Amino acid sequence: MKRIFETSVAGRAFGAAALSVALLSGANGAGAAEIKIGVLYPISGGGAIYGGPAMQGHDLAVDEINAAGGVLGMKFVTAARDSKLNPAAAAAAAKELITKEGVNVLLGGLASSVGLAISEVARQEGVIYIATIPKTIKLTTTKLHPYVFRTASNTDFEGDAMAQIVKKVDGKKLCDIQLDYAYGHDLGDGIAKALPKHAPNANIVIKLRPKLGATDFNAYITQIMGSGCDTVVSGLWGNHFVNFAKQAAPFGFFGNHVYITGGEIASHEVASKLAGDYPDNVWSNTYELWYHSPTDAHKKFQARLAKKADTEATAMWPVLAYNGVMLYKAAVEKAGSTDADKVSKALEGLTIDTPMGKLTMDAKSHQANTGQFWGPMKKVAGKPYRVMDPITFVPPPE
Amino acid sequence: MPPIEGKTMSMLANPTFLFYQFMNSISLGMNIFIIAAGLSLILGVLRVINFAHGAFFMVGAYVCWSTVTYLDGATGSFWLGVAAAAVVLGVVAFVIERGLLHYLYGREHLTQLLFTFAIVLVVGDLAKMIWGTDQYNVPYPHGLSGAVNFGFALYPAYPLLLCAIGVVVAVGMWLVLSKTRWGRIIRAATQDREMLSALGMNVPLVYTGVFVIGSALAGLGGALAAPRVAVSPGMDATIIIECFIVVIIGGLGSLWGSFLGALALGFVTMFGTVIFPDWELVLAYVLMLGILLWRPWGLFGVSEEESH
Repeated sequence: MKRIFETSVAGRAFGAAALSVALLSGANGAGAAEIKIGVLYPISGGGAIYGGPAMQGHDLAVDEINAAGGVLGMKFVTAARDSKLNPAAAAAAAKELITKEGVNVLLGGLASSVGLAISEVARQEGVIYIATIPKTIKLTTTKLHPYVFRTASNTDFEGDAMAQIVKKVDGKKLCDIQLDYAYGHDLGDGIAKALPKHAPNANIVIKLRPKLGATDFNAYITQIMGSGCDTVVSGLWGNHFVNFAKQAAPFGFFGNHVYITGGEIASHEVASKLAGDYPDNVWSNTYELWYHSPTDAHKKFQARLAKKADTEATAMWPVLAYNGVMLYKAAVEKAGSTDADKVSKALEGLTIDTPMGKLTMDAKSHQANTGQFWGPMKKVAGKPYRVMDPITFVPPPE
Repeated sequence: MPPIEGKTMSMLANPTFLFYQFMNSISLGMNIFIIAAGLSLILGVLRVINFAHGAFFMVGAYVCWSTVTYLDGATGSFWLGVAAAAVVLGVVAFVIERGLLHYLYGREHLTQLLFTFAIVLVVGDLAKMIWGTDQYNVPYPHGLSGAVNFGFALYPAYPLLLCAIGVVVAVGMWLVLSKTRWGRIIRAATQDREMLSALGMNVPLVYTGVFVIGSALAGLGGALAAPRVAVSPGMDATIIIECFIVVIIGGLGSLWGSFLGALALGFVTMFGTVIFPDWELVLAYVLMLGILLWRPWGLFGVSEEESH
């Protein structure tokens, strides 16, 4: 609430100037003194661990854009809503943002099911939606429409990278454990599709589908142990992984299985929180690592973010939200308007510089070429928790 | 997603697998029982459906984490954290009962329901202000991070200990309820509070005591669960539903009902997940519905006709 209030005061101060610019340039949504961004991240309940840091990245981007004078002479104003991990709540919030707040664009989402729900609202209402975190492949395939774009990675990219690691660790008998909702199902499909290509000798011997939000994984742990597989492929993210690992470790589970997982279990926040309880033999991914700055752009971004977050060891999520805002800004600039159809056209094929390198939005699939860091999580002398070593950047497959 | 049937069946014929699943069922059941016992006690005596029980469970886990972190993970710090969780929740419950809930006993159930739901939201937000939205990790207590060797299989030590604690809590509560004067008063309060009051008992004091003890059990349960799960916002959501299922199966205010209900839920969850993976979520409710149709007052509850 506080943020909305502050920005609306700022908005009023710039109102007159922005209004005249808007009228002069004939910007669509004429009379709009500002560009209103509807942003949806989970900021309560179990998803708040990710939504909070994502909002930091979002705010950082908006602050930087406004400090540089805004876009087409208009300031960015944020209207934030809690998407929870609940598609129905997120859809209602997205509708409200469009009809009551009159936002020009929707950004965010976290859970894949939530991303699909927001996308559906965007389609009906003809408003641009940039999915910054949801990874279900359906968002940019079967459920694709002109107004949805994704800057996150997707389940096909992730499954492909995991199949490459199966090959690398010479996995033969695989257990596939995924959460029973859009993301888990689609990641399972993504792995199954990529295995024949990268690791034709590997076979999935059992598929397990615990529920989203499950806390007790013992029944699944014993099934994996009973199935005789040498490698586990998984997409249990966040707390699901923490709970699974804590319950599996006393069985000696991680001594007998290589655990290859999507869901950004290599992120600093999971590794630092689990610290000494982070298990052996885990290969995972992350979008960003604060301790790994291969480029100058990343170093600078990291410094600005560290200042905002008041810690050097920043989370992985802010960069995703940040890139989403920056992509939208570039599209509005290119389109010379906030009109959804014009911005949609502008987004197709658009390339921007991000802290992680060049980001290009594919004109056909509406999917950005976002890669991830992948690698084994190792104990390294001098580090209080596990770090990825070696760090390999895996670009999206051709 | 259909399971790989042959695999499941061959696993069920594997004695080691069955042993694991058997132990998993009991440890899950005992885990839930410790928390549900408090809810059942409060429901039986106060006749208040305390939605905030799950929030108390979450705060118990946070308090345990804070204690362990404050003491830098020293040996024994976990057990101090468990004790601290029970004490803190006892105090919180005392304040809530004396300060607020106390004035609502005469009101209709809906008001009380809304009140405890409000407590859920307030406690949830307070927890967020105190502990933030980060997830925290409570390591296993010293000496309990490994497994116990049964000769034919290993089983993790900590869940085994939880089973033992569950039994100790059950027997302890049973002894207090059946052998002591306070226990008799509490039992009398579940049966007929007007009569108890007419006999000159200080019923409000009984209510306060029961609410404090029941809530302390939620805190205790949260602290004991902490090493096995990520301590984070939202961890209260599933546990409260499981507790209600247990209480409904067992019968309002029945200790052994909750004990059996919790075990039943443990077995249905663990074996249901393996045999009917698609129906995992539904099975617990099917169990509850079945019991409700057969004995609406629960396994060990007393029907309205019998009680009058």
